[in-house]
Amino acid sequence: MLPNFNNPRVYVSLLSLLILLALPLAVQSPFVYHLAIQVCVFAGLAAAWNIVGGFAGQLSLGHAVFYGIGSYTAGLLVAKFGISPWIGMFVGAALSMVAATIIAYPTLRLRGPFFSLATIAFLEVARLLVIYMGSWTGGSAGLNVPLQIGLPWMIFREKSAYLFVAFGFLVVTLWVSWLVRHSRFGFYLIAVREREDAARAVGVNAVRVKIAAAVISAALTSFIGSFHAMYLTFVEPSAAFSLEMSIQIAMFALIGGLGTVAGPVIGTVMVLPVAELARGWLSAFGNGTHGFVYGMLLVVTVLFIPRGLVGHLGKSAQRLIDRLPSRRTDVKTNTTLAQKTSPARHQGKPVLKAEGLYKRFGGLQATNDVSITLHAGEILGVIGPNGAGKTTVFNQLSGFIRPDQGTVSVLTEDGQWITPTSPETFARAGVGRTFQVVQPFAGLSVMENIMLGAFMHTSDKAQAKAIAIEVAEITDLTTLLDTEARGLTVGGMKRLEVARALATRPRVLLLDEVLAGLNPSDVVRAIEMIRRIRDAGVSVLMIEHLMQATMALSDRIIVIHLGRVLKEGQPADVVNDPEVIQAYLGKGYVHAQAA
Amino acid sequence: MSIFIQLLLNGLLLGGAYAIVSIGLTLIFGVVRVVNFAHGEFLMIGMYAVWLLAQHFGLHPYVSALLVALLLFVLGASMQRFIIQPLLSADPHIQVFATIGVSTALLNLALMVFGADVRKADVVFGTESLMVGPLTLVSGQLITFVVALVVAAGMHLFLQRTYTGRAFRALAQNRMAAALMGVNVNSTYVLAFGIGAGLVGLASGLLAVQYPVFPTVGQYFVLTAFVIVVLGGMGSLPGAVIGSLFIGLIDSLAGFYIGPDLKEVVYFLIFLAILIVRPTGLFGLGRGSE
Repeated sequence: MLPNFNNPRVYVSLLSLLILLALPLAVQSPFVYHLAIQVCVFAGLAAAWNIVGGFAGQLSLGHAVFYGIGSYTAGLLVAKFGISPWIGMFVGAALSMVAATIIAYPTLRLRGPFFSLATIAFLEVARLLVIYMGSWTGGSAGLNVPLQIGLPWMIFREKSAYLFVAFGFLVVTLWVSWLVRHSRFGFYLIAVREREDAARAVGVNAVRVKIAAAVISAALTSFIGSFHAMYLTFVEPSAAFSLEMSIQIAMFALIGGLGTVAGPVIGTVMVLPVAELARGWLSAFGNGTHGFVYGMLLVVTVLFIPRGLVGHLGKSAQRLIDRLPSRRTDVKTNTTLAQKTSPARHQGKPVLKAEGLYKRFGGLQATNDVSITLHAGEILGVIGPNGAGKTTVFNQLSGFIRPDQGTVSVLTEDGQWITPTSPETFARAGVGRTFQVVQPFAGLSVMENIMLGAFMHTSDKAQAKAIAIEVAEITDLTTLLDTEARGLTVGGMKRLEVARALATRPRVLLLDEVLAGLNPSDVVRAIEMIRRIRDAGVSVLMIEHLMQATMALSDRIIVIHLGRVLKEGQPADVVNDPEVIQAYLGKGYVHAQAA
Repeated sequence: MSIFIQLLLNGLLLGGAYAIVSIGLTLIFGVVRVVNFAHGEFLMIGMYAVWLLAQHFGLHPYVSALLVALLLFVLGASMQRFIIQPLLSADPHIQVFATIGVSTALLNLALMVFGADVRKADVVFGTESLMVGPLTLVSGQLITFVVALVVAAGMHLFLQRTYTGRAFRALAQNRMAAALMGVNVNSTYVLAFGIGAGLVGLASGLLAVQYPVFPTVGQYFVLTAFVIVVLGGMGSLPGAVIGSLFIGLIDSLAGFYIGPDLKEVVYFLIFLAILIVRPTGLFGLGRGSE
């Protein structure tokens, strides 16, 4: 739950954070106090935003909605009912969490700019409604917070008291952000951001993960909104629900570095004081000076350091910090992988059954009455000419496509037959899959890629790591564990696909053309790998183009042609079947052979 | 009854004003696939230019509209060339940040140079009230409406009939495939962005007759324009026109029957519904939002 304080990266960060507290206390100037409080508030807002905008990659430009809800709820509860903001802020956070769910659910599938536009629309609607309900919100004129001084009312005579409270909110927000980043949940967010399909294939419920991120972020934003309303002792719709503020929050996070814990704070510390000072020094030039500085900085940032200060300079800063003394107590992890792939207890019994699958795309009957049974401990090859409908069948077997008719059932660990309906439920039922077009989480290391699969059965990072190391052994990736996935060769990426699926400890593994596009030596390695996987007790169903390899590996072969099962049997029988030859090579070839 | 007809007329004429702003936006949105948050600021700059030309040289906004269109063509083309083009292969959210940055900088620059005062070009032609039976309308509104329709029709023909127009549409569908067919991606994007911005220049001349100019005038129009563009479908000119008339009617009718405070709520809710239910819009040109 807490970072390791002996790690130099942790103590250096915390010490630097303390400067934010120490500097104003040393200088004792009202302006510096105000600046430090604003930095704490905005750094907190940016860090909260970053959970959605950075970790989950959803560019919200309407985040002021939650700030506004927090401000107004706390303000109204004080003004109308005399309820302390310390209680009011929790009411506000609860309302913000409800609002976040309502906003997130329908807009989740929107990508990039469309999501941003939708969040702006929600922000506008909220602002207009607050103005419309002027009889109790005070309308566009705003709402004054009664000036009751004292800790229970979060209103103080001394600026230093505000600073301590603001700093407290910042620390809490950063702590939550750190927890998210270093948990299974954080890994899932990044996985969904990078490749939603691949994430679902390792059992991640993408919708739930994104909503959870939105809800956490909204609650944190709302808390800070409540505090800020007490600090300013005034709330008005145009400031509380402002697009300008939403943009500023996102901008601080971007300049510091999206998707990092420290980025939003660093961005705010670098930019906010400069803009505030510019406002002071250049006020002779009229209003808008600081806004102009913000706009120019934003353009310069995206053009020259799009990954932010942390993204571009973080690595070298880390190297410097790592030289500092540390008492790193290596936590021993004794993982008993007792749960690992159970040896085939039901050798030869069915483990996956597809019965009477039909699927139509417009005028094309892609799957036409296909039934497939996979037995425990076997390697089943599915072959067929291009466009035969192999991949469509495959997607139905893993839940990525729902069949129009027919069922796919899976035998669970405890001997029950179940019929999952979505990719993630298939994964959790013990069906792992790879993708024909490889889907690595390119920015993560090989180790982290495999860990994502392992997280399906454990939320413990150390244990996930242990599983990853073990799986890497089987898939020949041990030497590459620390490389970024984007640096792998085609063969490596294909094996990584298999490794990630394998880390979910499946009992059934579906391989989609893992041999395609490999060079001969990689093909040999892959064949050995598939044998090792089967020997570990996993039933394998593989779609393949490469005839020879399939013949050599498979215990049984199914030929699909024009969406139907054309032939099923031993490799030797299938390959000599005239119908099969005809499907692959045309009628003429059969005659030519006969002649 | 005559109130209702007057409201319909007001709505359609307001729709004309929205249309002239939305045409350029939909072209940029549809072809370059960049949400240009600075579009409103382009309009604002155009309107300030029109106002300056009227103030210092006595040019009528309808005359200076053409000059300003040229100025904004250059501005738009340079924005594409120097800011968007280097970011073409970056994440979409980086592009969003870029146009937001330009928007923020331009808005605040105007605030620094012109202050927050509201200014208006002093003209006669285009502001006369016309009486048609029981109905009243302002001549400039009618002119804007007609010009919007003519420009939309002209652009539509351009997209359908010319090689460049086809290149625009091809890029909207699939950048890679268009490039493989010999379309020069970069220069076509620069042209599309320039034309889109140039059309806003035209709009600023037309609108400056009816509306005053102030630094945030663009934001007032551009949020509505985004609603219209998503509603009509990215890159669809008929969609933009029909969407504009639709939003104009809603503005006028909801403003009267539901209340002026809530009319924007109504069309933002419609916007959200469209985004969620049919993200390609009603007449989308290319890919949708997913």
